[in-house]
Amino acid sequence: MSRVPTAALSKYLLQGQVSRQGCLRLTRSHLSARALALRPAIASHCRSLHTQQAAPEASLSSSPAPPPSHVPLRKQLKDEAKKAKAAAAGKKKKNASNQVVPGWELTVGIEIHAQLNTAKKLFSEATTSFNDESNSHVAYFDLATPGSQPHFQKETLIPALRAALALNCDVQPVSRFDRKHYFHWDQPAGYQITQYYEPFAREGRVVLQPRDGIAAEDGDGIAVRIQQVQMEQDTAKTMAQPGETHWIDFNRTGVPLIEIITRPDIHHPATAAALVRKVQILLSAVDACVSGMEAGGLRADVNVSVRRTADGPDAPLGTRTEIKNLSSFKAVEDAIIAERDRQIAVLEAGGAVEGETRGWAIGSTETRRLRGKEGEVDYRYMPDPDLLPVVIGDDLVSHLRDTMGQLPDAEVDELVDVFGLTAKDALSLVGLDGGARVEYFWRVVEALQAKLGGGAGTIAEHPGCFQLAANWILHELGRLTSNPHDESAQDLGLTADGQCQRVPVESLTDILAFLYQRRITAKVAKELLWVVYRGTVPAQYASVADAVETENMWFRELAEHEYAALADQAVEGQEGIVAQFAGYKKYPEGKLMFLVGRMIRLGAEERIDPKNAESVMRRLLEEKYVPGLKRA
Amino acid sequence: MSAHVRHLRSKIPSGVLSSLRLRRSPPLRLASSSLPPSKTNAFIAGVDDSSPPPPANAGRIRLAVKDNIAAQGLPTTCASHILTGHQVPFTATIVQQIEQRLGAELWGKTNMDEFGMGTHSTNTPYGAVSNTLSGRSAGGSSGGSAVAVSLGQATVALGTDTGGSVRMPAAYTGTVGFKPSYGMLSRWGVVPYANSLDTVGLIAKEVAPIQEIIQAVCMDYDPKDPTSLPATVRQRCVSERQCFPTSRGTPPDLQSQGLRGLTFGLPIEYNIEELSPRMKKGWMRVADQIKEHGGRVVPVSLPSTKSALSAYYVIAPAEAASNLSKYDGIRYGRRASAEVEEVSSDSLDGILYAKTRGEGFGPEVKRRILLGSYTLSSEAVDNYFKQAQRVRRLVRRDFDRIFKLSNPLLENEHEKSDGSSNQQQQFDLSDMDESIPLESKLGPSQIDFLLCPTAPTTPPKLSDIAKQTPFDSYMNDVFTVPASLAGLPAISIPMALPKSEDDPVDFGGVQLIGQFWDDARLLAVAGYIRSKQ
Repeated sequence: MSRVPTAALSKYLLQGQVSRQGCLRLTRSHLSARALALRPAIASHCRSLHTQQAAPEASLSSSPAPPPSHVPLRKQLKDEAKKAKAAAAGKKKKNASNQVVPGWELTVGIEIHAQLNTAKKLFSEATTSFNDESNSHVAYFDLATPGSQPHFQKETLIPALRAALALNCDVQPVSRFDRKHYFHWDQPAGYQITQYYEPFAREGRVVLQPRDGIAAEDGDGIAVRIQQVQMEQDTAKTMAQPGETHWIDFNRTGVPLIEIITRPDIHHPATAAALVRKVQILLSAVDACVSGMEAGGLRADVNVSVRRTADGPDAPLGTRTEIKNLSSFKAVEDAIIAERDRQIAVLEAGGAVEGETRGWAIGSTETRRLRGKEGEVDYRYMPDPDLLPVVIGDDLVSHLRDTMGQLPDAEVDELVDVFGLTAKDALSLVGLDGGARVEYFWRVVEALQAKLGGGAGTIAEHPGCFQLAANWILHELGRLTSNPHDESAQDLGLTADGQCQRVPVESLTDILAFLYQRRITAKVAKELLWVVYRGTVPAQYASVADAVETENMWFRELAEHEYAALADQAVEGQEGIVAQFAGYKKYPEGKLMFLVGRMIRLGAEERIDPKNAESVMRRLLEEKYVPGLKRA
Repeated sequence: MSAHVRHLRSKIPSGVLSSLRLRRSPPLRLASSSLPPSKTNAFIAGVDDSSPPPPANAGRIRLAVKDNIAAQGLPTTCASHILTGHQVPFTATIVQQIEQRLGAELWGKTNMDEFGMGTHSTNTPYGAVSNTLSGRSAGGSSGGSAVAVSLGQATVALGTDTGGSVRMPAAYTGTVGFKPSYGMLSRWGVVPYANSLDTVGLIAKEVAPIQEIIQAVCMDYDPKDPTSLPATVRQRCVSERQCFPTSRGTPPDLQSQGLRGLTFGLPIEYNIEELSPRMKKGWMRVADQIKEHGGRVVPVSLPSTKSALSAYYVIAPAEAASNLSKYDGIRYGRRASAEVEEVSSDSLDGILYAKTRGEGFGPEVKRRILLGSYTLSSEAVDNYFKQAQRVRRLVRRDFDRIFKLSNPLLENEHEKSDGSSNQQQQFDLSDMDESIPLESKLGPSQIDFLLCPTAPTTPPKLSDIAKQTPFDSYMNDVFTVPASLAGLPAISIPMALPKSEDDPVDFGGVQLIGQFWDDARLLAVAGYIRSKQ
């Protein structure tokens, strides 16, 4: 929905006293002290951008701006929503090639900040936390108490190293910590401790394949080089309060982050989003990170520049701008597209792109300027004189490499090549629930193999069985939790080791095995899933089999003559329909299905296999009801 | 003007200089000599220094603590407005150790130069510290600690020594000031000025009480201080040294053998034009005394001395500017009051925290923050900060070449890099002064201790200091800074000066510097020399 100008809103609400600044929160980040102090100035600047932005939207839809005093707000909102929808739909069609602009080459480099999965902070023994009571996990050093000193928690290296290995980096035997200075209230020491001069990992690469969602223009795949990975401290969390008040929660101060810096190897917006997604999947696969973008555990900054393709590949890259703090994959792609288009427009108008820092608000169509070169802070990097160099032994690195387990790419390959899953389903399984979903799948697969007779040949003997399992684990399980009215039912209770509290592995395996062996119908199987999900198994029935037995739900198919009798019953009174089969031009499949449907409704549903019912009906039509009917 | 200062000044762009010169120190509150000698402003909290010294409590140490060292129950303000009334919520490890091991009694917090920045303890909102010699500088930055000892209020005082801040006040007040090897005494609870140089130092009237404390705590690794030398490294260092409680080998028998077998070096580069003739005579007299007691005295060369002061005044302000970034008045300390009209109370003219920091810091602190911010800025860092680090290595190399003992930390580095340990470094004769005689084909004779003055002059009058430029006071650190850059133990003990009609002060400080972790032997030898004066 497009933004309603606050000017319009204020006419209806609170007697025109609506604050017009309320939605213009400053994004947390490395704004310079100067830029922040100029807050009101920035806010007004942004506001003017919004109004400018609203204008072209209106003209695009070629409707005169409605006089706000006459059009009821609700109607206006509705109209605008409709227009936006139409515009979006229109865009989508054109969108086929929004990945390239003819005559221009886009270049993107990405910096990803990810919260490491550690028990303690980087330089203090305070525990890391998420949404705990504010300021309840803070050590003296986290507050920059005079006289306190940093205590490097070497355990934080383990997830950091796993991340570096997953990104194919060279782990550096010696790395050091530096201070990066800037004033901001979320930075108690006046500097952030990071690794500027000597990061702990360098020269990695991430390979992106078409199935990772890269732009079609990138063909069979692309390798994005990682320049370096460094450890650093997170900042405090600012909680804006009404007025000019800011509350600071120091629980997040000093929480360990890694910053992953890519080389400018990306040339298409979708590929940039794919890289961030892939990095998130990799980090979660090796247990390096607590949470992904959706939970705020991962943030990306992108550096964007464009140059004319006519200038050739050896021409220098264009001036780049940095877009800070992107918090979703879609934002990464959309912001890059918007910024690319803005830069091209500037250059085509004869202007020059300024090296500056820009921001992006979800749902907007333009990046907005946060600060220019003149607002840049000189970070005055200095080696931290209290911190010793970090020396990482080869033994640790090789131990971590050996125990890291299968990476997502190899896992997806195995799912596709060995278990016959579609690439899409394999990717979804691996990407969901931070890896818990695919662990659950593996447990079900194991149990299914055992049930179906085990042995190495199981997979070949039962084609389709594992795709069936994947379908159910992705889609049927997803349906269980999609009831928006029941909040208690929102969580499947999947654990990292692949157990599921609500739908135990054994129960799902039973259902799937019965279904695969056609001992129950799909409809019954789905009902059973609910029975399990609601806890009726084991509360009321000892097992799935017991439930089926007790409720008499086994699939005892009708005999051939029973199907025939049912078909006779079904065509009774449907002469008009049957007549349409005689001398058809195109076989009336729809009518056939209608008749089959009648069969199912008339008979004992749990004893009917729709496929068999269909073939009986088809045969009887030819042989009995419309003699001489030619075969479809 | 000395060569060092000229060198330093020429390297600073005029813009920075003029902003540094802009503000002179405000008139001192305590420049007159009419005040009673007891009114020295030595203490900030805990003790009233106008009261008569307490009677000696047999064997119990009365410990005065510099105001940048945390002692729970008393404020820790670093003599800065910005920390007015601030209490650090824990006690520094060193204070705890001395209280617990030696049963010391905490005897007040002492005045100092704000955050340790100064040479005369005049940069303080609590009134300039006055020497017990009326109207004279008590030295800085641990001036309050030195005066507390010379007044007899404290038996031992803790100070901090970053570039001479314990040795200088000792020299000016006729007391003994000791700066241990870097990494020996824990800095947990010590508010940093320049972490890579800061050490906790000790001041007493004699060497013995200092020796007692060092013997008691020298093996204590403090996990709270990341720069505290780990226990295994301490063990290794001590095994190569004498006079520590767990040292192998017999310590020198000073009582019967005197200084026989010990070589003392006189660094020829320390004979600078600023060194007063009386100070030089006193220095040579100590050298003669050493010879009388069997010691050998040889000239030595420390070629990088000339650059050491400049390097110090690049490194220390850089670290200081960084360390002092935390004082924004938000979590502790003093916060500039918001004016009614001001929208954002933490900014001034659009600069975040400018009001709090502008009001809270004194002029010398601001000067060094500016200096440090400049030398770390992206355009200057290569020419200043990185260059100064190289000079620092050269200073350490100079010391390693002249001492008989090798540097135990460096030895390890050699083993790692080329597998050969204890390698004798050959002098590059081209950078050595030609007046130094060669001992062997490897170079001139190697020494046990360096012998040099602590300060170039006797304590100046406070009234004269008020007229000085900041650079004149930086000059005073020229003899003390090299040991700080190299992390070496150094001690200043009083020495007699020839009588003069112009200057009634008849003592100065003479400094002994030892190889890294040779603290125990240094103290033993200093104690012996002191006892023969």
